[in-house]
Amino acid sequence: MSQKSERRGIHVDQSELLCKKGCGYYGNPAWQGFCSKCWREEYQRARQKQIQEDWALAERNKLFHCNSSCSVSVSRVRLQREEEAAYASSQGAQSQPSLAPFSKFEEKKSNEKTRKVTTVKKFFSPSSRTASKKESQETKTPSPSISRQASMETDRVSRDFIDFLKGLQKPGREIHKQCRAFVESMGNKKDLSAEELSECVQDFYQNMADRLLSHFKGSTERVERVMDQVEKYLMTRLYKNVFCPETTDDEKKDLAVQKRIRALHWVTIQMLCVPVNEDIPEVSDNVVKAITDVIEMDSKRVPRDKLACITRCSKHIFNAIKITKSEPASADDFLPTLIYIVLKANPPRLQSNIQYITRFCNPSRLMTGEDGYYFTNLCCAVAFIEKLDAQSLNLSPEDFERYMSGQASPRRQEPEAWPPPAGGSPALAQVYQSLELLSGLGARQERVLEGARRLEGDLIDWRAGVEREVQDILDRHPLDLRLPPASAIDSDNVENDRLPPPLQPQVFAG
Amino acid sequence: MAAGGAGVGNKTYSFKVVLLGEGCVGKTSLVLRYCENKFNDKHITTLQASFLTKKLNIGGKRVNLAIWDTAGQERFHALGPIYYRDSNGAILVYDITDEDSFQKVKNWVKELRKMLGNEICLCIIIGNKIDLEKERHVSVQDAEGYAESVGAKHYHTSAKLNKGIEELFLDLCKRMIETAQADERAKGNGSSQSGTGRRGVQIVDDEPPNAAAAGGGCCSSG
Ligand SMILES: Nc1nc2c(ncn2[C@@H]2O[C@H](COP(=O)(O)OP(=O)(O)O)[C@@H](O)[C@H]2O)c(=O)[nH]1
Ligand SMILES: [Mg+2]
Ligand SMILES: [Zn+2]
Repeated sequence: MSQKSERRGIHVDQSELLCKKGCGYYGNPAWQGFCSKCWREEYQRARQKQIQEDWALAERNKLFHCNSSCSVSVSRVRLQREEEAAYASSQGAQSQPSLAPFSKFEEKKSNEKTRKVTTVKKFFSPSSRTASKKESQETKTPSPSISRQASMETDRVSRDFIDFLKGLQKPGREIHKQCRAFVESMGNKKDLSAEELSECVQDFYQNMADRLLSHFKGSTERVERVMDQVEKYLMTRLYKNVFCPETTDDEKKDLAVQKRIRALHWVTIQMLCVPVNEDIPEVSDNVVKAITDVIEMDSKRVPRDKLACITRCSKHIFNAIKITKSEPASADDFLPTLIYIVLKANPPRLQSNIQYITRFCNPSRLMTGEDGYYFTNLCCAVAFIEKLDAQSLNLSPEDFERYMSGQASPRRQEPEAWPPPAGGSPALAQVYQSLELLSGLGARQERVLEGARRLEGDLIDWRAGVEREVQDILDRHPLDLRLPPASAIDSDNVENDRLPPPLQPQVFAG
Repeated sequence: MAAGGAGVGNKTYSFKVVLLGEGCVGKTSLVLRYCENKFNDKHITTLQASFLTKKLNIGGKRVNLAIWDTAGQERFHALGPIYYRDSNGAILVYDITDEDSFQKVKNWVKELRKMLGNEICLCIIIGNKIDLEKERHVSVQDAEGYAESVGAKHYHTSAKLNKGIEELFLDLCKRMIETAQADERAKGNGSSQSGTGRRGVQIVDDEPPNAAAAGGGCCSSG
């Protein structure tokens, strides 16, 4: 299978995912494709420059009134002005009732939290606060020169957010104000642990959702719609500071999982009892798509966008199962297949992504929704892979050891292994269907080859034609080099220094 | 919000219910019967049967029920806690013709108690396949007696004949609404019930959080 999927081409080049410095770690789009270590080095250099630039800007604007982490606040002030300007146009039409409870927003006590998401992460991060705090003191504020692309995305998201909120009239303005203030306050919380950062964000979601719920008179759908936008706005901004933060060992865990999955490369579809027959082209198409989806998760910044990748991946898995078994997938079908997909994909920074979603996703999405179900299964798949032993694959401990150490590899199962001996027509029908598809593919390949041959001929003809034309033109217009008019001898000083020195007038003394 | 499925006034309740039990006892069949009214049907239109939802209206209260199927094979048993965390209810299914599957249900009850302690969700024990009454290997007395001893409701069902299924989900939903309302009242009183909001699993390893607290029975049968 592995050869097959390579041939079919998952268009994600591993090298694109690795750190640009070539140190072997995974790179991170938020770190300009560097790993955290190389990013810090790179960043130190850029930071000096940036501090100078910000100083200059601040001096000019007379806004420089704090003596530390000013680089952050200066760029924020600029942003704030831009956003305010964007809002100014909508201010005229504000006869709508205001969102009254928002004025007391900050007073909301957090002791009535009904948030549950924090419990989830306990499964995956018994000790996420191991790295020294000192290391994280420096801000990760990217320099303007190396984060233009990221900031362009941030700006676009801000504009979209404002456009969305304008539709809500006055409450929209209030929401925007709260969100912006919150992003700013998070800028001052750099030395908090990941868990504490998560608490802050989750508290904010909770308070915001509660206010919205009373404003929209209990319409959860409308609340959800706004909360999705709030999450998008907040997390696009906070991403680079809270994804795989240096206060955690997320990165170390990523590498551990990555290594583990690599060591399990020999696990076959049969060992996991995956109900998917990749010999059916449509099925293997879906398998490849599922692999691509789960890899793509790492490239998204908003938790919900990451979740959407997992959901797309799951849907492709369901397709593959349904085509193979012609019945809807149950959890017994789905989980092994997802495990198989994760093993094949070895998605970059899997733990960091799971942690990030757990910490910063809107909890209602994670708790009861469909996306939450698929995410939970992904968590299960990772937990299974981490703990997997001989028994979980129905192997003898000896075989397991031999495969793990690379001393032996399991014999590739004969294709007869699938379909299972059902002894009925459905299996046979499937075989015939596959054969038909195969012969169809053969014919298509013939056509493609035929086309290629024709194209080759055309190219040869075309080349000959062009040559003929050029020759024609050359014949009609024979080469006629007109030399430029002669100019002063020393107009260009070619090899001037080789000339003998000019004669100097000599004075003869009487 | 949707957390805990709590609701105010005319709000919609969102509940998460997990299906637990050995493979082949009929978990998937039960949920497909309930949500699609199909059994062993080759023409089922849903793409998948692992996550299904149902909207209910119970005495004017709207409920969005999300039913989570779980992988029943033994090698996935250890993943249970990841599935059932934050659930409002658990449906523990056994096959009346399979003594072992009933033993598995008992194990699930023990594990839920150990892992969730006071925060245990409502659970219901289901003896499925009663259309195979002549092959019964788990006596009605034993099953119902056991359920009562742990404070769980017991239902007999047949996914094949569509017996007992509507009733069990309706009963579970009613009790989940009661629990949610009780949580809300506790919240409203401002009493420092730090526990109520944070249902779910609080531990990582095997040590029970407060095993002694399990004395009250599996379910707060209300
Ligand atoms: N006779 C009978 N068979 C059932 C019943 N429910 C499920 N089955 C059969 O039991 C087998 C396993 O069912 P399934 O729903 O896949 O169980 P799961 O593994 O727990 O999800 C299937 O062959 C079903 O047709 C039932 O109520 N009566
Ligand atoms: Mg099943
Ligand atoms: Zn690097």
